[in-house]
Amino acid sequence: MAGVTRFLMRSALIVALIAAWEIAARLHLVSAFLLPSFVSVARRLVADTLSGQLPLGLGLSLYRSLAGFALAGVLGIVIGILIARVKLARWFFDPLVSVGMPMPKIAFLPIFILWFGVFDQSKILMAAFSSVFPVIVAAWAGTENVERVLLWSARGLGASERRLLWEVALPAAFPQIMTGLQVALPIAVVTEIVSEMALGGQGLGGNMMQSMRFADSPGVFGGIVAIAIAGSALVKAMDLIRRRLLIWHPEAAAG
Amino acid sequence: MKALLRYLPLVLLAVMWEAAPRLNLVDARSLPPLSAVAAAWWRLLIDRDLASNGLSSLGNLTAGLLLGVVIGAALGVLMAWYRPLDDLVHPLVKALYPMPKSALIPVMILWFGLGAGSKIASIFLGCLLPAVLSAYNGARGVDRVLVWSALAAGASHRAVLWEVVVPAAMPDILAGVRTALALSFILLVASEFLIGQTGMGYLISFLGEGGAYDAMFAGVLTVAFVGFLADRIFLAVMRRALIWRE
Amino acid sequence: MAGTEIAFEEVSHTYRPPRGKPVLALDRVSLKVREREFMALLGPSGCGKSTLLYLLGGFLPVEQGRISVGGRPVTGPGSDRGIVFQNFALFPWKTVRQNILYGLEKQRMPRDARLRRAQEFIDLVHLSGFEDSYPSQLSGGMKQRVAIARTLAIDPATLLMDEPFGALDAQTRGLMHEELLGIIERAPKTVVFVTHDVREAVYLADRVAVMSARPGRIKEIVETGHTGRPPPEIVKSREFIDKLDYLWDSVRQEALVAQTEKRLQR
Repeated sequence: MAGVTRFLMRSALIVALIAAWEIAARLHLVSAFLLPSFVSVARRLVADTLSGQLPLGLGLSLYRSLAGFALAGVLGIVIGILIARVKLARWFFDPLVSVGMPMPKIAFLPIFILWFGVFDQSKILMAAFSSVFPVIVAAWAGTENVERVLLWSARGLGASERRLLWEVALPAAFPQIMTGLQVALPIAVVTEIVSEMALGGQGLGGNMMQSMRFADSPGVFGGIVAIAIAGSALVKAMDLIRRRLLIWHPEAAAG
Repeated sequence: MKALLRYLPLVLLAVMWEAAPRLNLVDARSLPPLSAVAAAWWRLLIDRDLASNGLSSLGNLTAGLLLGVVIGAALGVLMAWYRPLDDLVHPLVKALYPMPKSALIPVMILWFGLGAGSKIASIFLGCLLPAVLSAYNGARGVDRVLVWSALAAGASHRAVLWEVVVPAAMPDILAGVRTALALSFILLVASEFLIGQTGMGYLISFLGEGGAYDAMFAGVLTVAFVGFLADRIFLAVMRRALIWRE
Repeated sequence: MAGTEIAFEEVSHTYRPPRGKPVLALDRVSLKVREREFMALLGPSGCGKSTLLYLLGGFLPVEQGRISVGGRPVTGPGSDRGIVFQNFALFPWKTVRQNILYGLEKQRMPRDARLRRAQEFIDLVHLSGFEDSYPSQLSGGMKQRVAIARTLAIDPATLLMDEPFGALDAQTRGLMHEELLGIIERAPKTVVFVTHDVREAVYLADRVAVMSARPGRIKEIVETGHTGRPPPEIVKSREFIDKLDYLWDSVRQEALVAQTEKRLQR
């Protein structure tokens, strides 16, 4: 019962805000252009869903974001582990990662356009480029920090180097790698959407920019709502996946 | 010496960047040799393109960042100190947090038009939440015995807020500012791509559209490098400010 | 120094955690501390002795009962009741000198007087030379000396100490005992000293109030047989050892009760 009450209290503010939004729009406190009524936005979302416009845009954006994210995930983990275990890789990648991390990767978009055109390829690769860094750092740190005692015990029990990697080091590094992936996903999604906004084409971001050009504010706000919902859904999904995969980890028992 | 060794791979990459297009290993149009990029950079500098756009970018960045960070940190600390404010604002913060702020750029354009206003507004929004959350967590995490010691020394409640809570929360606040700094660069470039008119982002896309690829590369590298430098400088400032830690 | 006698009258306190059931921490505690007396509050962990001290300090609101100092009720924290905590509570971003100056600044002392007084107390606790060090650069014993200097510099009439030497090793603790007694001998104050260390209580205090396991009550009050600074040989005297044994046993009974309580709760 207490859980329900708390949920109601928390949603109370959101509900109140939506109500205030609707009232402000109805009373024309702000022009319908600047702040379309909640109802008109909702109506637009429904219309777009039924016409297939929203599912198409959502699907395309998700496809590109997740493709970029998957690429970043695989590359990032491989490079991260390499850095932790191979001295040459570490020497080569360390400055790249340390310099690349704080850079605004989105600035490289025009270069990606030059190399890969204005369609899906550049958007996917841009998303991958932006989100690979946190994965590398996480995989590197996770692999490097595997408790030495753990490795010594396994080695003492006669495990080969390869078994050591796959059966001890990687599972132990997994929570940290997972965290890196969880950080990378929103980055990939946002980068992809911004790329769409700059490049055009179908997709949540592209559609939003199109609406903006046509001064279609319900479309713009509808886009925000769609992105917000899609974004939170993805983050929640990652969280669930993490909990499922890390069920053996003490942090699962704590939380 | 050690720094040189550490960044040697970058030097090697620079050499490859120069050699590969010249040896026709890659298309020189898509990847102009590094020397051509450097020459283009120099031309941009002399023609004042770099200065005027760079200044515009820097101005908008600073405005958005300062506003976002100062208001955000103040809000975060006040939320941690005054429970009613916390109850009111916290759910809103939590709801807005997962929203990618760059997606709000079109809304800013709708509201503020195509100009500096929407760029600053976008950067402000992006910097606000990290500052609020880090200041909030920092202020909440202050050990109560510090507060009590100050009160027992004769300090008033308000004095304790500014003389104890804020300094104690500084490590967290500064970490939040560092995050906001990185985000501000991203939002600056993104908003300049989309809004145009002036700024480094605008310059880069303008050069790209015009086919001046060596200058475009020069612009991209400039922005990327400034972003990197800003982070490093801030780290140094942070270390100096927090010199009292271990 | 008139008006520093402390009176606890039927003080109760309920601890309300954000999640979970409220717990009665103190149950109708009544206690009188005489002027310039050194009173030790002794008891097992969780008996509420620190809570009692925090109520006296005005850091927690008195909901039931009454606490008065010199006849006036306690309504909040104040510089008349200085406090020293177990984990030192030094402002880590301030140097030693700046920490000690904090209270003096609050008293609106003129600058020169402030600096002079701060230096006085730095020298008093044997930290000359470390004025510009940060707490992170000091050892535990040094940090505690800064904490004591900071509190004493504002000359509170009452001194509250919450297991101040608990985080120190045995040798340092012994040295700190002597320093504390010397300081109080020079500038007498009313002292309320919380500890779970029986020997420390008997050595330092004039009277020892033993508290029961939770909910805390005053189980008994024992005179230690000496006031002020005891001669060091006292620890070998018959009376001292007997007092020690007696109190140790008394506290032990309460500790066992507390442990049984915990087991029953699980």
